[in-house]
Amino acid sequence: MSSDDRIAKAASFLLHSPPGEVDDVFNDIRGIVNDDDALQAQIEPVLAESNMQQFLVVEVPGQQSTVLLTPYNQVSESRYLDPNTGTVFTFDHLRRIASDPESYNNSADENEELRAALQTHLDQYVANHYTNGSVSVFAHEGAVVSCIVSNKFSPGNFWNGSWRAVWSFNPAMAQLNGSAKVRVHYFEDGNVQLDTQSDFAGDIEAGRDVAKKVAKMIGQFEADFQQGINDGYRQLAERTFKGLRRTLPVTRNKIDWEKIANYKIGGELAHAEN
Amino acid sequence: MADYDDENEQQMDCALDLMRRLPPQNVEENLVKLLEILPEMTEDLLSAIDQPLKVRQDSHSGREYLVCDYNRDGDSYRSPWSNEYEPPLADGSVPSDRLRKLELAANEAFDTYKELYYEGGVSSVYLWDMDDSFAGVVLIKKVNDGTVKSKGSWDSIHVIEVLEKGRQARYKLTSTVMLYTVASGVKGDRQNEINLSGSLTRQDERELPAEDSGAHIVNIGRMVEDMEFKMRNSLQEVYFGKTHDIVNGLRSASDLSEARNRERLQRDLFGQLKGRKD
Repeated sequence: MSSDDRIAKAASFLLHSPPGEVDDVFNDIRGIVNDDDALQAQIEPVLAESNMQQFLVVEVPGQQSTVLLTPYNQVSESRYLDPNTGTVFTFDHLRRIASDPESYNNSADENEELRAALQTHLDQYVANHYTNGSVSVFAHEGAVVSCIVSNKFSPGNFWNGSWRAVWSFNPAMAQLNGSAKVRVHYFEDGNVQLDTQSDFAGDIEAGRDVAKKVAKMIGQFEADFQQGINDGYRQLAERTFKGLRRTLPVTRNKIDWEKIANYKIGGELAHAEN
Repeated sequence: MADYDDENEQQMDCALDLMRRLPPQNVEENLVKLLEILPEMTEDLLSAIDQPLKVRQDSHSGREYLVCDYNRDGDSYRSPWSNEYEPPLADGSVPSDRLRKLELAANEAFDTYKELYYEGGVSSVYLWDMDDSFAGVVLIKKVNDGTVKSKGSWDSIHVIEVLEKGRQARYKLTSTVMLYTVASGVKGDRQNEINLSGSLTRQDERELPAEDSGAHIVNIGRMVEDMEFKMRNSLQEVYFGKTHDIVNGLRSASDLSEARNRERLQRDLFGQLKGRKD
């Protein structure tokens, strides 16, 4: 394998990083590749993809506002839009620094009115259901796309978790499509991970208050997703896990090893001793 | 030369840290990738990273056995039942006669253990000679295909080092349990899957009387049984307690504004009561 292929392969591990551990995975990749210059030449686009995949929450330069980094508000290779403050800025994916804000008037954009209304409704919804959540709504290719992220990182207690959802409403089709995803990493004396994802679709009745209806359906889908996870946990704990190994044998006693050793193998071992 | 060793050590440490972070669901795929990136470290990586156990069938007896790095020699694996390598290997390493007898006995004992606790599955025990002692591994695998809706698998890997000291022996046990559980469902045209998987590792060390070979089986048996008892509880707690709580901490199913209102109301009430007292 060529050196470039090796580095590209190592860099791709970044996209499988657990929530909150991108820096650790990056350092591991650095140590494995052991060639900073070569890695630096290749890592930038992978870091960009990783930051957008994780819906990194970024402070908008020059504004009292945050926005998520996603593929839906990327306007050029390293420029991103915050539609709420009408700001386009540069993001350095390696150093995670936002700079060069430039104002951008999006009031005439297609779907801007609906987008802004949905942002207001979802701000309220996210505040009501997430202690640490963020939401950004974007107008993207004829649709209105809402991205929600909620992270809780507690590496000192050996766990990190992330909830991410993306909801795309197409006004022409009056349809809401999307998916929600949760990843949890627990790593005290081990490596245990939850990975779960669900897809959802529903029709929105046309007419007044479309933004309100969309926000309501998003809330319903996310509640269903959470309920589905709770049901799944119950099933895995009560059926799958119990069916693998008993706590104790049917006799409810631990094994009499002396008896097993004597009964099954006494003869064999007598020979072994001689 | 010293630089070269330092470099290898750093790469190994980083590779192991990486594997402790990447999704355990893809451990085999990730290991293959690592081997392509660090081909010169193939042997070290294969012996340091646990993979799900694979089942093979002994072509002599037809009995199933488990294969892993501990019974591998080149591209062949030794069956604990026939003591033969498959595919055949002329000079494959095998235990000494004394140890082979103990290995056979241990395989029979853990076969019984496996039936009593797992009610199915496959087990294998492999022993190997050390300078003036021996070491071994007890492997157990149970797969639960269950229903279409959920499936799971349990792989136990108990590595044991035995140091014989006259009528005593010191046992050092390092146990890893890999537990994979998957629930999937389809509701209308929606698909969802919950994959909760990974591994936990624990250690134990005991010094016990060992007057004959039979005592080794009794001692190792008890240590493995106690360890699995503890680990089953830890797995239950971590998988179905801790990670579940973390999910419900990411999103609150109930409306937080109601909770906040209740809190405010309580504060106000408390303030009024306090005011009345003063």
